[in-house]
Amino acid sequence: MRLRRGIILLAITMMAALTLNACGSKSTGRDALDSGVLRVGTEGTYSPFSYHDQTTRELVGYDVDVARAAGDKIGVRVEFVETPWDSIFAALEANRFDVVANQVSITPARQSKYDMSEPYSVSEGVIVTRTDDTSITSLADLTGRTAAQSMTSNWAQVARDAGARVEAVEGFTQAIKLLNQGRVDVVVNDSIAVYAYLAQTGDTSVKIAAQTGQKSTQGFAARKNSGLLPDLNTAIEELRRDGTLAAISQKYLNANATGAPTPASPAGQQSTWQLIRNNLVPLAKATITKTIPLTIISFVIGLAIALVVALARLSHNVLLHNAARLFISIIRGTPLLVQLFIVFFALPELHIKIDPFPAAVIAFSLNVGGYGAEIIRSAIKSVPKGQWEAAQTIGLGYAGALRRIVLPQAARVAVPPLSNTLISLVKDTSLASTILVTELLRTAQIAAAPTFEFFALYGTAAVYYWVICLALSFAQGRVEQRLERHVAR
Amino acid sequence: MTVKNGDLVNVQAITKAFGDNHVLDGVSFTVPAGSATTVIGPSGSGKTTLLRSLNALDVPDSGVISIGDITVDFARPISKDTISRYRAQSAMVFQAHNLFPHKTVLQNVTEGPLVAQRRSIEEVTSEAIGLLDRVGLADKRDDFPYQLSGGQQQRVGIARALALRPKLVLFDEPTSALDPELVGEVLAVIRDLATEGWTLVIVTHEIQFARQVSDQVLFIDGGKVLEQGPPSSVIGAPIHERTRQFLDRVLNPL
Repeated sequence: MRLRRGIILLAITMMAALTLNACGSKSTGRDALDSGVLRVGTEGTYSPFSYHDQTTRELVGYDVDVARAAGDKIGVRVEFVETPWDSIFAALEANRFDVVANQVSITPARQSKYDMSEPYSVSEGVIVTRTDDTSITSLADLTGRTAAQSMTSNWAQVARDAGARVEAVEGFTQAIKLLNQGRVDVVVNDSIAVYAYLAQTGDTSVKIAAQTGQKSTQGFAARKNSGLLPDLNTAIEELRRDGTLAAISQKYLNANATGAPTPASPAGQQSTWQLIRNNLVPLAKATITKTIPLTIISFVIGLAIALVVALARLSHNVLLHNAARLFISIIRGTPLLVQLFIVFFALPELHIKIDPFPAAVIAFSLNVGGYGAEIIRSAIKSVPKGQWEAAQTIGLGYAGALRRIVLPQAARVAVPPLSNTLISLVKDTSLASTILVTELLRTAQIAAAPTFEFFALYGTAAVYYWVICLALSFAQGRVEQRLERHVAR
Repeated sequence: MTVKNGDLVNVQAITKAFGDNHVLDGVSFTVPAGSATTVIGPSGSGKTTLLRSLNALDVPDSGVISIGDITVDFARPISKDTISRYRAQSAMVFQAHNLFPHKTVLQNVTEGPLVAQRRSIEEVTSEAIGLLDRVGLADKRDDFPYQLSGGQQQRVGIARALALRPKLVLFDEPTSALDPELVGEVLAVIRDLATEGWTLVIVTHEIQFARQVSDQVLFIDGGKVLEQGPPSSVIGAPIHERTRQFLDRVLNPL
């Protein structure tokens, strides 16, 4: 059922290729069971399946509860690793965890690539209309009507095949909005998503008008030949038999399909302002403990790398010179996101496993190093040759001339473009959210997930980023002023 | 090879080529200690390269140069250490002064003695203030170079060179970049140094100055020393046709 847009499909494909080529010494999931801990990958931002309760901040949800219950049955402790959907399979391959519990649809393609368990949830295609619309009672009634659908979703094809005109939208929430506003007639999606939406929002302006007939099932995904399937399947079977699955479903999906769902959302009702107010401190905390340190550490290390690379590029040693050029070319020629993924997901294949925060520091430092090197190189070249000669003639060696005479003058030229790099870096750190660093953006995602209030929380996060950048711009002005004081105006 | 009694500098048959351009083509001369030598000649004759060779800013391809007790044979590989000891014998005053713009006047003068020679800050500072006083800039010690006139900047350049306590002071066209009314103050400082017994080598176009100040004049053309001797002969009564032509052009530009 989760057929989401693949913004970073390229990176994932690459990771997949890397992992497929990797040698066979991969640890199996069985090791995990023997160690007594089952590591479960889940989004943490996908309500009501995997999200953080707003009051307790604990990870909860349909899939989370099922995974916990299955762990109890198997007799292992369950540890959750929160990973964005777009990188969840790359992380599974990289052995960051043993199974994925995140409404993974069981498809033949996935079955050939992963160990897919028996299903623990079943959904069917449903047609959603406005509550007062009685003209649609079956798939056949879609002919000539307008449907709002996410283009990459299989439901778009279902609607089109039924003769509907399809308006492309970003996601389910936006589709329902268009339906509410009367701009489209129907939305086709799966029942679980619709139950979830109705349970979360208490929206009574739309209803489930009919079924499409398609069913889809969701289960756990593990690495191929993990050896986990027998235990997982037995556990799911027992949970189904003893009614645990049904209870979990009732708790999160409120899925008595006939009447209007009662708005007993686990979050309770909260105004947008209240939500923002409640999250000001957690967002600030993420900013201070993750975003700012990540920026500062990466920038400082990055500058050191940049200086070394710039000097290597200026060197007359052919080997050094070309190595520096290659480094700069690779860093500037590949997406930062891919660099992050390589450090975090691909290096474990070579048995180099790095925790999220240091992995982010490595990737960002190298990136700053590549861009900064060119800035520093051109700044050094802007210092007149006579300054080098004067430094030599008073007895300074290369290092002394560089440190005491040339770099202080180069700094004046380098500060404005390096400030650009720093300000970009502040915002680029948000990419670390894709490799499990709970920095500012990731914290906003987690807070927004159970509420459907993405705009409010992303907006708040944007304001935080902006404030940091304002402070940096101010600091840049001061530094420039200081460096300009020896220059005739 | 040793330095003859009384000679501070002995240059033997040095050559230097930049690609196909043979800038120095076997230049030899000596500089007696305590004397002022001026080097004159048409532009492109190699005189600046010659001067820079004495400070190893340009390294000759072959030939031998002795300054004080350091002798370097440029035809052989030379260690960095040798180069830096050789360079330490002399100090350079540049045409474009090349002061450090981010340092004050005093810091420009003390940088070399403090950082490269590792002398004590008290000693270096009081000596530097004395040198600035001597070039008439004691009150400018805390200014930055951009706040000074061209002549003042060049005088700081001279103080910076002297602060290194060199055996030999080299001047590369020290007044060529100056406005005409600022030339005099710089030449006056150099003249005083000559009187005080510093050993100087000066590349210049100021023929009158060369005549007044120098003990020895070298006329260089095409990478060779064509004529050398006291100013009364090289400038006053040149024997070589090229020297006469050059002097005529410089002294009577119209």
